[in-house]
Amino acid sequence: MNHENLSQSEQVSALMDGQLTGPAFEQTVQVLAEVEGARADWYAFHLVGDVLRSQALAVDGARDAAFLARLRLRLQTEGQVEQPEFATGSVDAPALQDGAGVIKNFDKASANDTTLRWKWVAGVACLAAATVLAWNLTVGVGAPAAPPQLAQVAPPVPDQPPAAMIRDPRLDEWLQAHQQLGGTSALQMPSGFLRNATFERPAQ
Amino acid sequence: MKDAARNEGNDSDLLLVERTLAGDAHAFELLVIKYQRRIQRLIRRMVRDGDLGEDIAQETFIRAYRALHQFRGEAQFYTWLYRIAVNTAKKFLLELKRDPLIVLNNLKPNDEEDETSHRLNEPISDETPESVLAAKEIAAAVNAAMDALPDDLRQAVTLREIEGLTYEEIADVMACPIGTVRSRIFRAREAISARVKPLLEHRSGKRW
Repeated sequence: MNHENLSQSEQVSALMDGQLTGPAFEQTVQVLAEVEGARADWYAFHLVGDVLRSQALAVDGARDAAFLARLRLRLQTEGQVEQPEFATGSVDAPALQDGAGVIKNFDKASANDTTLRWKWVAGVACLAAATVLAWNLTVGVGAPAAPPQLAQVAPPVPDQPPAAMIRDPRLDEWLQAHQQLGGTSALQMPSGFLRNATFERPAQ
Repeated sequence: MKDAARNEGNDSDLLLVERTLAGDAHAFELLVIKYQRRIQRLIRRMVRDGDLGEDIAQETFIRAYRALHQFRGEAQFYTWLYRIAVNTAKKFLLELKRDPLIVLNNLKPNDEEDETSHRLNEPISDETPESVLAAKEIAAAVNAAMDALPDDLRQAVTLREIEGLTYEEIADVMACPIGTVRSRIFRAREAISARVKPLLEHRSGKRW
């Protein structure tokens, strides 16, 4: 269909009905972005269509304008919409054609691309297995290892006198004078470090 | 037959989505202008609150914008948008139930003794008498303009907008070339919108 001789409003009408493609589509959308009258046509034509289908969709134009103005402000803070990330081979990557006719393919590998991910996992696993095997072979070539020594604590020497415990004599005196306050060594309730400082009467 | 017409419109929507994804935010605004009334009506029916309904409609379009890269054109754009709107409205309603303070603020009248207060469960609307009148004027203008159209223009726009036929199907029905169909539909739209635009500009100014 030849759209070259259509007026601006007629192109907007054709765009509404999906009749424009390629350069004609691009050109009309560009006009809609730049020309206020074209946008007024786009709004009015859609409003007319809505009202023809349902009288309940007849709304105050001021409310629609306020809604769009508010949304426009929010969209400005949103920034550019996220670009699609299509899985290579799993979903056909759509092609976008810009105004210059350049085809843009979104062929980035997606996070759930099975091939790429498992190739990495298999490679790392093989490398780890080879390292462990080589280490075992290197150690195993040498002399046989001694049997494992289960207890490495030196046996006690009976001839040496027991080491004297250093205690503060004043603490002993105080504990002897206040035996009724001192705890026993078998307290029912835990009493922290003081339990270790009880006065034990020497055996008779 | 309607499916083919819907596909035509959906093709146009898909192109606008792709253009938005390529970085043209104006293309998304064209989709908003196209669907905002249907989405707002849908949500208002669900939440029965005008202000809340507009907030949810705003949130719906913001979510759609964020998730636009997920739209592959397998379904119609409006179907996809409809699902987002319903899910967004459900989420808002769930949050309202969880937070009694919000429920009270939104649903309970401020002064129960005031005879102008809304009753609980009564539809609350943000429509003013002026906006209701403006909507009625627009509907009346559309109807009057349709009645005043020549038969061929009225038939063409009716087959397209109400019956949802494609240009090819309308050409078959009216026994005329597709170019003539396109021209008749455009002239009908232009004639009707010529009656509607003064009402729109009077109320809203040129802000499109």
